[in-house]
Amino acid sequence: MSKRLSKKWLPLAVTVALGVGLVACGDDDSSSSDDTTATADTTATADTTATADTTAAPVDSAAPAPSADWAANFTPWEGSKPVACGPEEGQPLKAAWVYVGPINDGGWTQTHDEGRQAVQTHFGDKVETTYKENVPEGEQVGQVIEDLIADGNTVIFGTSFGFQDAFVAAAEKHPDVCFEFATGFKSAPNLSQYYGAAEDTDYLAGMAAGAATKVGKIGYLASFGIPEVVRGINAFTLGARAVNPDATVKIAWVNSWFDPPVERKQAEALVTAGVDVLGMKGVDSPATGDAAKAAGIPWAGYNRDNSANYGDVWLTGTQYHWDVYEIPRLQQVLDGTWTAGNYHGTIADGFVDMSTYGDLVSEETRTKIEAKKAELAANTGGQFTGPIIDNSGKEQLAAGKQHTYGELMAMQYLVEGVDGEIPAG
Amino acid sequence: MRSPVRLERRLTQPRWLNSAIPVFSLMGALVVGAVVLLATGKNPLDVYWRILDRGFLSQRAVTGTLRTATPLAFTGMCAAAAFRLGVINIGGEGQLYIGAVGAALVGLWIGGSAPVGITIIVMVLAGMLFGAMYASIVGVLRSQFNTNEIITSLMMNYVAGIVLNYLIFNSRSYWRDPRSVGFPSGKPLEKRTFWPTYEVFSTSVSFGFLLAIAAAIVLWVVYKRSRLGFEIGIIADSPRAARYVGIRTKWTIVAVTAMSGALAGLGGTSQVGDFAHYLDAKGLQLNNFGYTGIVVAALARLNPLGAILVAVLMGGLTNAGYSLQGPDFPSGLVGTLQGLILFTAVAGEILTKYRLRSNRNAVKAVAV
Repeated sequence: MSKRLSKKWLPLAVTVALGVGLVACGDDDSSSSDDTTATADTTATADTTATADTTAAPVDSAAPAPSADWAANFTPWEGSKPVACGPEEGQPLKAAWVYVGPINDGGWTQTHDEGRQAVQTHFGDKVETTYKENVPEGEQVGQVIEDLIADGNTVIFGTSFGFQDAFVAAAEKHPDVCFEFATGFKSAPNLSQYYGAAEDTDYLAGMAAGAATKVGKIGYLASFGIPEVVRGINAFTLGARAVNPDATVKIAWVNSWFDPPVERKQAEALVTAGVDVLGMKGVDSPATGDAAKAAGIPWAGYNRDNSANYGDVWLTGTQYHWDVYEIPRLQQVLDGTWTAGNYHGTIADGFVDMSTYGDLVSEETRTKIEAKKAELAANTGGQFTGPIIDNSGKEQLAAGKQHTYGELMAMQYLVEGVDGEIPAG
Repeated sequence: MRSPVRLERRLTQPRWLNSAIPVFSLMGALVVGAVVLLATGKNPLDVYWRILDRGFLSQRAVTGTLRTATPLAFTGMCAAAAFRLGVINIGGEGQLYIGAVGAALVGLWIGGSAPVGITIIVMVLAGMLFGAMYASIVGVLRSQFNTNEIITSLMMNYVAGIVLNYLIFNSRSYWRDPRSVGFPSGKPLEKRTFWPTYEVFSTSVSFGFLLAIAAAIVLWVVYKRSRLGFEIGIIADSPRAARYVGIRTKWTIVAVTAMSGALAGLGGTSQVGDFAHYLDAKGLQLNNFGYTGIVVAALARLNPLGAILVAVLMGGLTNAGYSLQGPDFPSGLVGTLQGLILFTAVAGEILTKYRLRSNRNAVKAVAV
């Protein structure tokens, strides 16, 4: 290739690079909403995964007693002491959120930012909040945290699983700063973990889907075959079969947290395979909803209320309320009583809830769902009560028994009625 | 209607232009940026001061900037090395992944037993070897079958991404931490094999960044002093002439592509050794180091030492960008400013070869 030719090609190459870069940036956006969620399960396995410099989360502690009080769902780390990360007299408390996606991703990051805004509204000028969006997982996070601390922020919230190591390292380096991490499993004297029982609301979404299917086949998009997602698939399937005993749930693995074109394609493949309702877990974009719209079939969403934009196909779905935890925690910082620990929110304290019901959910089904919701609010994880048989016919839970918190967090089987299997690894 | 100005090729390129034009480009970017900032109700001086402070001035900022710059320096040199020969290798992204795979393999394998120094050296060699082998597929296809290397190298980036995902997410491979029951993650290296950092004027500099500087110096010497460098110049100018004088063009294309891949592989190695300390399948893919490296190479005019400087500039701009954004400074505005600076830098480049002439007073050009 002559030099002249190479000069002709160089701008093209640069353009391609920029283009691909931009597309990839788009990915980062939400890449993580779920990656974060994905990992809550690790709380259970913390004893095995925690590294030497971190303490394991309390693994075998039973699920906290249901209560409308968030504090009942919070367990301080063993021996943890209050950390004084409050502001100086007369100064506002500076708190920052680090997001992996854009604040308007229509899913995970947006729910987190709505939580931040609720915090700001609640405290007024006593607290000054800020955020950093589109922060890719990897090397960059540590520097963003350092920068936030240099700006005087003393409470930092992390909302993507891939940020965890950077948060643990920063917590060690800055013992006077309070760190709050959503959906991880590592702990430190000044690092808390917070997440909740989305499998309860996933079950209720499954009931709506089970009632909506006419042919008895539901399509379900799932990200990775990890316990958090597996738990969601099982809960959803149990819910669907509670109202429609013959219903089956066909799984399509996306192998990504956020990949709208692949999500859409997989959803369309499910439609072609004959399902007449779509659901999802661990995937962020509303691409599944787009496929449902195109096919004219009902859709049970996830993360956030999408009833406004998908009104004609919307059923309902799990919705997170992060401020249920964040507001009282910041109050503790102001009072000087903040200690690090593990929070697992429930329907009872309002951390997880159902989003708006769509017109496609009949009055009868709503009543059923609301009744079951009250039941699960009083007994989180109660949908996993035996007998539970997996989809190879093996009994996983004897009649009358209920999975422990630890078993839920390590779930690696698919219940009867799931058409699919957990991918290798 | 005729444009009021036209471009005219410069017959000579005065030396002062090489430094003056980047300076004027930057000033142009700052002025246009100021208009944008004023229009959105910000004080441009405050914003520019913050970019300087958080990207380049404070000691903490310099430490962070060098960390962000390290992978970009490697991928910048990777792209520059191939472009110099006229081989448009845009596979730095994938070659970086594969280099990281190789480095993590060796680090995990001998890290527990071999002396630390040996482990680091073998990691470096393995990262280079893996990156080089992966890139040489592109080189061989290009030299033997005249395949378009833009397409093959781009496609191989996706393949490398799938390999990473497979190793960590979809299999129980040697690289995956068997204890990661929840979210699959890479097996961590032994703590003692983490690459060292050095304190230089109370700024911490990673071993990887020093390695990048060393690589840039070696490349510069190769280009200026070695036979290979001389041959690269000739092939780039005219492959046919190169063949007539007996240069093994095909061999050189494979060798240079492999070298280019080795540089990207080093970038991946440094990610494993310096920063992540395990094969971070997601982190590697989310940062677009390889693609950003192409921009670095273009801005550095394919000069390896220039690539280091540009990487530091990009690193500082990236970090300052995160520092700027917040509730009253949307990330879109940050992107606009960064884009303006990079755009004018590339656009200004044309003025080193051409000059602007007013059309009004122009003497009618004589047809050549």
